[in-house]
Amino acid sequence: MASRFLFFVVRRGVNALVTIIIMIALIFMIIHLVAPSPTDMARLYVGSHFNLQQLVQIAHRLGFDQPLYVQFYNYVVGFFQGNFGTDTIYGIPEILVIQEYFPVTIDMVLIGTFLGVGLGIFTGAIAASNRNTAPDYGIKALYLGTWAAPPFLVGVVLQLILAYDLGLLPTTGVADPILLHPAVVTGLPLVDSILAQNWVYLYSYIQHLILPALTIGLISFGSITRLTRATMVDALDKDYVKLAYMKGLPRRKVIWGTAFRNAIIPIITLLAITFAFSVGGAVVVEDVFAYHGIGFFAVTAAYDLDYPAILAITIIVGASVIVANFIADILYGVMDPRVRLT
Amino acid sequence: MSDGAQKWLERFRLFRGRHKSSSGAVTEAEAPLGESSGLNFIMGYVRRDKIALAGTIGIAIFVMWSVIQGILEQLSGYLNDTTLAYILLPSNPFAFNFKLVLAPPSLANFPVGLMGYDATGRSILSRILYAAPKDALAAILVVTSAIVIGMLLGITAGYIGGWADEVLMRVTDAFLAFPLILLAIALALVLGNGYQVVLVALVVIWWPTYARFFRAQALSLKNRGYVEASRLSGLSSFRIIIRHIFPNSIDPIVAIATLDFGNVVLTYSVLAFLGIGAEVGSPEWGSMSASGLQYVPHVWWFALFPSIAIMAVVVCFSLLGDRIQDLVGGRISY
Repeated sequence: MASRFLFFVVRRGVNALVTIIIMIALIFMIIHLVAPSPTDMARLYVGSHFNLQQLVQIAHRLGFDQPLYVQFYNYVVGFFQGNFGTDTIYGIPEILVIQEYFPVTIDMVLIGTFLGVGLGIFTGAIAASNRNTAPDYGIKALYLGTWAAPPFLVGVVLQLILAYDLGLLPTTGVADPILLHPAVVTGLPLVDSILAQNWVYLYSYIQHLILPALTIGLISFGSITRLTRATMVDALDKDYVKLAYMKGLPRRKVIWGTAFRNAIIPIITLLAITFAFSVGGAVVVEDVFAYHGIGFFAVTAAYDLDYPAILAITIIVGASVIVANFIADILYGVMDPRVRLT
Repeated sequence: MSDGAQKWLERFRLFRGRHKSSSGAVTEAEAPLGESSGLNFIMGYVRRDKIALAGTIGIAIFVMWSVIQGILEQLSGYLNDTTLAYILLPSNPFAFNFKLVLAPPSLANFPVGLMGYDATGRSILSRILYAAPKDALAAILVVTSAIVIGMLLGITAGYIGGWADEVLMRVTDAFLAFPLILLAIALALVLGNGYQVVLVALVVIWWPTYARFFRAQALSLKNRGYVEASRLSGLSSFRIIIRHIFPNSIDPIVAIATLDFGNVVLTYSVLAFLGIGAEVGSPEWGSMSASGLQYVPHVWWFALFPSIAIMAVVVCFSLLGDRIQDLVGGRISY
């Protein structure tokens, strides 16, 4: 059993690695379709304020005059060493820019995903145990509304009500701008401020985090609700639930203790998809809340035609989604021993 | 369960039996053809279900309006006659009126001012109606192209298996891992901005889900009795795929595709909101909401009504898609 599990992990790991390399190849292909010649590539990286001779020199310095397979090899090796080229706007290595923006998004998306999953599982279970009654329809209306609404609408409505009208939370930004960022240890501001025991920054950071994370949670909880409701409805018809009733357990215990625990296992597969969806949604949410994460940076980079940045962001976010998928696969194998590990 | 419901359930079993049983030929004779064929069955069910009916009516209105308005817009381009494009609209969606800048919704000059006016005094209602064909065209083109591409690759991978499967699925995984919006931004960036580019980007991000789906279908179908029988009788792989695998895997796709029409409208509007694919001056629901947001909270109608248009379309598609999924998946809840 143990060796089979190890084989499963290794196989999935190799698959994930191959997928990442194919992804890099795709991005590599896209960028070389746009800029077929070395000087075109150089122009992409440094802008158009250089003459041909200078461009040739720059292309040579950045290695664009090498054969394509050498460049591709360097690109892949560079990726695993954390080297994504130089940012065309800031003129510093891309990885530094991304290190600045990505952790903020990771904090937000992870918390938003957990909010969404928690809300989805809870509402799904309630809907299933009150099938075809008012709570069921109410929950359906709620998730259809937030699911079908464009993410920016959800964000703006929350911003209007909670920040502008009630004044409970700050409207935009990552933290109070007068506060100093705590020393970087892990990169995640949430963890860093706790490590540095900078409670003022932590308080301000969490205050600013609530609205974007809540928006992410609201736009992503619908699919979890649907799946939880479906699996709960199936589980509630099973014999072991009837047995639990016959043993004289109260309804509440049967629903939350017996049916619920068996019904949430398939949700794990949805976790990675929800994460990927949330990262995509983060682009819009960060735009609405002027939240300076990777999505905000991606949109700015798109407007500035900062190709290396947008390609690096796409690869890094894609790779993190693949890693999330990999973790979800393994978790599923651990949680449900009946799953065939292939 | 009422008698009527019982009858429908029986019909439904018949419908499933015809498509899913291992000996297709036998049950084919049992099921009266035409009466319970896929589409008729779904439409019959939809007529009885109020929620699905509401969704269907909404979709019908959206699609019919888009077709008529879209044809008028194209014609006006060919005939070089701009008035033709506005003939059905309450007012000219491009006409500035600086007396009405950001004027709130009112019943005066009905129905032009029903949804208020934007920052240059253009009627928001007219602009929403003018932009509808773009969303409809995007939804239809993207979903059908994604289905065709996904079908070709997915069925090939599932039916042939082995190395072809391994290679195709890794490529599919790579595409699936890209967050939709980021990949669309990257593609729009490298291919240049514009409506067609956004459609291409949407197809690129949409086909992998269908490839996965058709692969799963092909895998489950390829060892069925009737497929083996036709293989033994010497039918080529190509003909088996055309005659057996494809027709039998299309039913579940209908539900997913219906939901996806809405999802494409949503994603398209998000891209437009971010300024990708929106052409200057041409109204678009997402970009209208984006420009309206600058005036929130005092001017709520500018951002809200375009967003509500998006939401209404997506809700209609989800209502119908949900019901079809229940039907095809065998979960009818009366």
